[in-house]
Amino acid sequence: MRMRDLAYETASALDANRGRSLLTVLGIVIGISAVIAMTALIGGIKQSLVGELGLNQARLVNIYLYLDRSVTLDDAHALTQMMPEYEAVAPITYASAKTTSETKSFDASVVGTEPVYFHVMGLKFLQGENFTEQDESDGALVAVLDQGAVRNLYGKHDEQVVGKTVQIGSVSYRVVGVIESDMGGSGDSGTAYIPFSTCAARLSGSWDVSGMVGLASEDTDITKIVDTTKHKIQTYYNVDDEAIEDGTYIYTMQSVIDELDTMMGAFQLIMTAVASISLLVGGIGIMNMMLTNVTERIREIGLRKALGARSSDITKQFLLESVCLCLAGGVIGILLGYLGAYALAALAGGTMASGLGLGDTTITPAIDIHAVVMATGICVLIGVLFGYYPARRAARLDPVESLHYQ
Amino acid sequence: MLPVIDIRNVHRIYESAAGYTHALKGVSLQVSRGEFLCIMGPSGSGKSTLMNTLGCLDTPTSGTFKLEGVDVSTLDDDELAELRATRLGFVFQSFNLLPRATVLRNVMLPLIYSDCPVREREERAVRALQAVSLPEAYYDHRSNELSGGQMQRVAIARALVNDPAVILADEPTGNLDSATGEMVLKTFRRLRSEGKTIVLITHDPDVAAWADRTVHIRDGKLLTDEQERALVAADHTIRSST
Ligand SMILES: Nc1ncnc2c1ncn2[C@@H]1O[C@H](COP(=O)(O)OP(=O)(O)OP(=O)(O)O)[C@@H](O)[C@H]1O
Ligand SMILES: [Mg+2]
Repeated sequence: MRMRDLAYETASALDANRGRSLLTVLGIVIGISAVIAMTALIGGIKQSLVGELGLNQARLVNIYLYLDRSVTLDDAHALTQMMPEYEAVAPITYASAKTTSETKSFDASVVGTEPVYFHVMGLKFLQGENFTEQDESDGALVAVLDQGAVRNLYGKHDEQVVGKTVQIGSVSYRVVGVIESDMGGSGDSGTAYIPFSTCAARLSGSWDVSGMVGLASEDTDITKIVDTTKHKIQTYYNVDDEAIEDGTYIYTMQSVIDELDTMMGAFQLIMTAVASISLLVGGIGIMNMMLTNVTERIREIGLRKALGARSSDITKQFLLESVCLCLAGGVIGILLGYLGAYALAALAGGTMASGLGLGDTTITPAIDIHAVVMATGICVLIGVLFGYYPARRAARLDPVESLHYQ
Repeated sequence: MLPVIDIRNVHRIYESAAGYTHALKGVSLQVSRGEFLCIMGPSGSGKSTLMNTLGCLDTPTSGTFKLEGVDVSTLDDDELAELRATRLGFVFQSFNLLPRATVLRNVMLPLIYSDCPVREREERAVRALQAVSLPEAYYDHRSNELSGGQMQRVAIARALVNDPAVILADEPTGNLDSATGEMVLKTFRRLRSEGKTIVLITHDPDVAAWADRTVHIRDGKLLTDEQERALVAADHTIRSST
């Protein structure tokens, strides 16, 4: 029997009981749409996460040092010189201070750093611009605020504030720029960024750095950079392994994304369980329908055998029928899955995004060719698995008895 | 000449929950090429059992069956299927057409199992339909839109399409009125004159009259020539007395 004939027979058999077939594949449809919707949403969340973080963020490395000796700005600069695997490194010192505008005041976090910080972090300027190297070496009284700080100082986060004066601690600063902050500046936190030298002189009173943020060069293997960096610091300070393990905390955004993956894993597991159960139920439905199908067509099977069909021809015919049935369910499931994912993203995407700390970004479901191929594969597998028994049963029928079956 | 069908001392014993049924009790029969043979017998005498054996749908419990010189008992299932596809044509009492398929498609059905090239199929089906004189206007009708006589002629065309060695027909006129039945029998007669070998089963003497030769089966056994003669004589007496 040729493939072409097989296809023709299958098509006409499926066409003959279209309505019943559609009902039967419902289980498959539900299972596959669950798988597809899940992968599309998780893919979408990951994409908007990476999008939100900016491309740089995958290369971002946070370095915190708790060695039993101080790390000064000069040490940080010297370390930077030793680490060509970074495109840029910015030293950071943290402080906090009461910050006041003409009308309001709040307790702001203060970050003293160098101008390259904003590039390393991939932060965009919404108003004004960065402070300069000149400001850094002069210890100039300039500040960059984030949206949270603007809102806390002026009531709303999109107030035009460049050129205005704010008081941080006991000194007045000129606002030169505003950057975006998480969640569009909601909550009662806010940060002011000032030159490192200014912070050291005016607020922290020390030239020690609290940590550094580095942007790995494009061609650096991000998975190895943590170890390389530790090793360089160890060489610089000439301390032993234990001291370096206890005294450094270095992490990359990659590790944060990995953590998110683990978190998603739990969700994925539940959805996979749901999908598997409905696929199992769907498969049993297919088997049931194929058995009914065989019983209804016993005479036809007898006839085909009398006309010269081999057992394998009958097996193939019924197997292909169940595979096609499952595939049809799969195609509908894939379409419904993506449709559902888009609907869910549109209805609840905002809530989901802010729940994940993504601010007001929208989640666009990711259409992934791998997921489609996988879903199709699963359907073929179910079709074969649950279609095999009915098909074999059809093939083993005795032609004489089948021909006289009423 | 080698007989197309050569069965010797064939027994068929059915085993069922109710016990054993000895349906064929040592049947021997030869059918030569181009012969139109009729097997007659009352209900339950083993006609269909014999027919299924001849059609390689059923294997005898003992005895030999040679089809065109080939001992069928040596063949495996796939080889038997191939034999049915290429060397045997079946005509059933209840037609057994695929109701939703067109006439042409029904006639072409055996061709998909005999590896006939796709481009030859329609031509062969049309030739077979011409041989049973079904008007061309019906070729694209669904088979369930036809009359009984037309359906049976489509079924005969289907049996013919692979140019088999034998056409086996089990009560082909059983579901037809006598006029339509006659039309079908004329078709067989014409095929016979074109050199086809036909084995037909019936319990109707009027149908048997169309055949070249008739053998009678009683209780799983064929009548001997002597018994046949006695039967014919008895038949004459019955006929002349009515
Ligand atoms: N599959 C079977 N299992 C058991 N016994 C069977 C089977 N098929 C037929 N028989 C028995 O074998 C005997 C012959 O049956 P068969 O069908 O050959 O008769 P028949 O001559 O074709 O009768 P009819 O004219 O009614 O069709 C009967 O007694 C029947 O009951
Ligand atoms: Mg019978």
